[in-house]
Amino acid sequence: MMSSLRVMRYSVLSGAYDYTSIYTWKSWLGGWLVRVMSQVTFFALIGRLLGANQQIWFLLVGNAIMIAAMEGVFALNMVSWERSTGTLPLIAASPTSPVLVLASHGVYLVVDGTVSALGALFLLGPVFGLPLPWPRVLLIIPLTILIAASAYSLGTFLGGVVLGFRGLNSVVVNVGIVALMALCGVNVPLDAYPGPIAWVSRFLPITHGLIAVRDVLAGDLGAAGLQALAEAGVATGWLVLCVLTFGRFVQRGRRNGSLEFAT
Amino acid sequence: MRGFRSGFRLQLSFFRNYPDSLIPLLTAPLFTVVFTMVLRHGGRGDLSGYAMIAPFYMSLWWFAIFNGGWVIQTERWEGTIEYLVAAPVGFVSVIVGRISTMLLAGAVAFGEVWVFGRYVLRTNVTIHHPYVFTASLVLTLIAMTTTSLFMANLFVLSRTAVTFSNSASYPVYLLGGILVPIALLPGWLQPATNIVFLSWSSKLLRGSLSAGPIQGAAFDLSMIALLAVVALGLATAFMSRILRHARSSGELALR
Repeated sequence: MMSSLRVMRYSVLSGAYDYTSIYTWKSWLGGWLVRVMSQVTFFALIGRLLGANQQIWFLLVGNAIMIAAMEGVFALNMVSWERSTGTLPLIAASPTSPVLVLASHGVYLVVDGTVSALGALFLLGPVFGLPLPWPRVLLIIPLTILIAASAYSLGTFLGGVVLGFRGLNSVVVNVGIVALMALCGVNVPLDAYPGPIAWVSRFLPITHGLIAVRDVLAGDLGAAGLQALAEAGVATGWLVLCVLTFGRFVQRGRRNGSLEFAT
Repeated sequence: MRGFRSGFRLQLSFFRNYPDSLIPLLTAPLFTVVFTMVLRHGGRGDLSGYAMIAPFYMSLWWFAIFNGGWVIQTERWEGTIEYLVAAPVGFVSVIVGRISTMLLAGAVAFGEVWVFGRYVLRTNVTIHHPYVFTASLVLTLIAMTTTSLFMANLFVLSRTAVTFSNSASYPVYLLGGILVPIALLPGWLQPATNIVFLSWSSKLLRGSLSAGPIQGAAFDLSMIALLAVVALGLATAFMSRILRHARSSGELALR
């Protein structure tokens, strides 16, 4: 147990160091945050086109929180990054479970996703006149962390699925993000979807968490609590699935040599 | 011309062999669904044409950045740029040939979104001004190609190219008014849209879908052409600088 925690600690730290080599605080503020703010503004302005404050706020909240889920799905990139640096076969050969290392390495994505999403919500909310009732608005912080973690679990699971198919990694990341955007009540309420799609969306990250965020803003804290529990259930489900299957995917890679030379 | 043809063919083989180079063709229909749902749910099904135009621009930008924009830099990373420059065929013609596949990729993206919108989402869109529509579409593809060439050279000279290419998408979509007209942007931001050719293009494409007359179409088309030429001029200047530096230092690949 202590040994696993030690591995996770080093893996988290290593991921955090990696991240500091990708962004400096200047390039984060001037590059990434500008992109995030533009993305949320882009969707919020559709609400302005539609001419109703409720539409603007719905789109603003949905797309701001979607940033947390988007970064969570980036966990898929962990596998390809390890492969490109030549460390994936070493991780597979080590006595530690690969899922432990790969799932811990990208934890910074949960942190960054949460900060980016909340930054967009709290900076752009006042610009578009979104009411942010104090102090219950603070409940959105843990909910956003939960959503990012939930999407991160899905991303790590999918990372295992595409382990042997190097060329599909970026495809799954990009299509996965837009699919979540389309299916999970980010841009229109769930009741606008056909029944089967609304049913599927309940098993995907962000759906329940986002409803909880909207409930918090509307003042319905009881409903928000139930939705938060449902989101935690979805997160746990994807995490369990990931832990149960990841080893098999790695074994398949060891058997057919696709860990390093997958096409 | 031989170099151009070879570059063009080479880039097409990349499209065939690397599925991730065709990501926009997979995401564009999903974005069309997202935008169409928002507009229909908001009671503005009449604006569904907007939902078909925006994903086309998103695809085009993606191709311009991730396929065209990284053409020279990836040759440097792979260590193949020396062979390319030393080959008897012109370096510039090969690069231009590769980036010109943008014209094809963009046209395919447009066709895909249009067919998807019309026949899957049953969007009722009429092109009321076919000449303006066609002219702006062709000029847009040319302008995006020269912009991509400009970025391919800029990325070699810039240290923040990766950050830029990962971050520029939505700021450009916003300033290009690809979904929401520029008039709805904050006033202080609107002057900046003039130097983004997408803002002139999106105005024309959207205008072509409206029955009313298009004001100042000739001027808008001229602006797209002008910005395409400016991008080409900058690309040429940067390319000269890169090659001059390479000749003086004797280095082309990454140090």
